[in-house]
Amino acid sequence: MIKVTNLHKTFNDLVVLQGIDIEVKRGEVVAIIGPSGSGKSTLLRCLNFLEIPDQGVIEIGEVTIDAKQYTQKEVHQLRQQTAMVFQNYNLFKNKTALQNITESLLITKKMKQGEANQTGEALLEQVGLSEKAGSYPITLSGGQQQRVAIARALAVSPHAILLDEPTSALDPELVAEVLQVIKAIAEKKTTMVIVTHEMAFARQVADKVIFMADGKIVEQGAPADIFDRPSNERTKRFLQQFSAPESVIS
Amino acid sequence: MNFDGLYMLEVLPTLLKYLPLTLLMAFVSMFFAIIMGLFLALITKNQVPVLHQLAKVYISFFRATPTLVQLFIIYYGLPQVIPSFSVLNALTAAIIGLSFKNSAYLAEIFRAALHSVDHGQLEACLAVGMTKSQAYRRIILPQATRNAIPATGNTFIGLIKETSLAFTLGVAELFAQGKMMASSSLKYLETYLAVAIVYWGITILYSLVQEWMENKLSKPYRN
Ligand SMILES: Nc1ncnc2c1ncn2[C@@H]1O[C@H](COP(=O)(O)OP(=O)(O)OP(=O)(O)O)[C@@H](O)[C@H]1O
Ligand SMILES: [Mg+2]
Repeated sequence: MIKVTNLHKTFNDLVVLQGIDIEVKRGEVVAIIGPSGSGKSTLLRCLNFLEIPDQGVIEIGEVTIDAKQYTQKEVHQLRQQTAMVFQNYNLFKNKTALQNITESLLITKKMKQGEANQTGEALLEQVGLSEKAGSYPITLSGGQQQRVAIARALAVSPHAILLDEPTSALDPELVAEVLQVIKAIAEKKTTMVIVTHEMAFARQVADKVIFMADGKIVEQGAPADIFDRPSNERTKRFLQQFSAPESVIS
Repeated sequence: MNFDGLYMLEVLPTLLKYLPLTLLMAFVSMFFAIIMGLFLALITKNQVPVLHQLAKVYISFFRATPTLVQLFIIYYGLPQVIPSFSVLNALTAAIIGLSFKNSAYLAEIFRAALHSVDHGQLEACLAVGMTKSQAYRRIILPQATRNAIPATGNTFIGLIKETSLAFTLGVAELFAQGKMMASSSLKYLETYLAVAIVYWGITILYSLVQEWMENKLSKPYRN
């Protein structure tokens, strides 16, 4: 379970998050949508303290952390509750695909090499990249890199996976393979928070959709409610950009 | 023409006897310079309060003053205020001086190398639950090492040549020996060319080693 209470974040003078409350149940998939600059990435990055919130309480799994008062140890424990998939993959450049996955198992989970390799190979198979185990990131396509990154995130069997626009940096023809992998994981009831501009995908996999604007949650609910019957004017205007051109005409 | 090529070949074996001392000075100084340079780079990169300012003064001083002056300060100057320095022999003083000087240069090289590693690499480490020091050890430093090797190699080549400055402190090393042989035989050109050839040879050998290292370390980054 993830529970965020009254989260605030500013960069210098720029107010980016102003009082965010979120709840994600175990096994739930939550999609966060919203215009560029609305604070979606910042929110996600506050969940693992890659950005330090100014105020607010974050509860993930067994760890609760208050931005007003925390220790480095608590931050480390919080980070171990989640894993993150980045827009530009961020695979370890000096490690092979398999090593990218096993690294955290060896280092943070103190797993034995053989066991880690087994886990890693199984995960590579799950994302359809068994034959790339020994390849370095630079030799992989964007879609392949992102699938390795997803496997790396799954490896630590986190409480939740945070995905920040996992397909935005991909060439259009590579988007589908990555979305498919994410969908398969979602079907296994993995808790996920995913920031995305892929509306059709959000609708398909999310249990709940959150629409953000200007650092606030404007509206949230079941995909059908948000996409078909948005109650807020901002939500409507935002979603209109994604409707097909002919529907704008009609 | 007045050039005794045979003499030049004859002095080479004698000069080569001093090679180990030159290599000792170069390797020991480089070893300490790398360790100090790494600390300085981590301090400046992470802007550690107080230490960061001190590091900047240190780096500035050792980059901006002649190595010869630094060696004289350490060997002849410091015992005046720190009596325990007077027990330093010339060789140790030379190694200390060369270590300090080169650590300042390496600090800048290492800082740039750390800087060239994409910040996303550290974030990816933290996001899978590593600590910052685990991230540096396993991911950041190995990548920075590769970026640092060409410039570090140049520093090392410079250091090999700088070991000849130790003769000014009275260390009987390669260049000092050459100087002695030249003035007794009066065959200056032959002797100093022989000295030059020894330094040249070391540098060529080292360059081969560096090429091999670069090749090995760049394997993950080749398409
Ligand atoms: N490290 C930072 N320093 C200063 N300002 C930042 C920083 N990170 C983000 N911002 C600013 O905070 C605001 C919110 O950024 P954020 O990346 O969270 O938006 P977003 O909703 O993810 O946008 P996008 O859809 O374009 O990814 C933006 O105005 C951005 O410029
Ligand atoms: Mg973003």
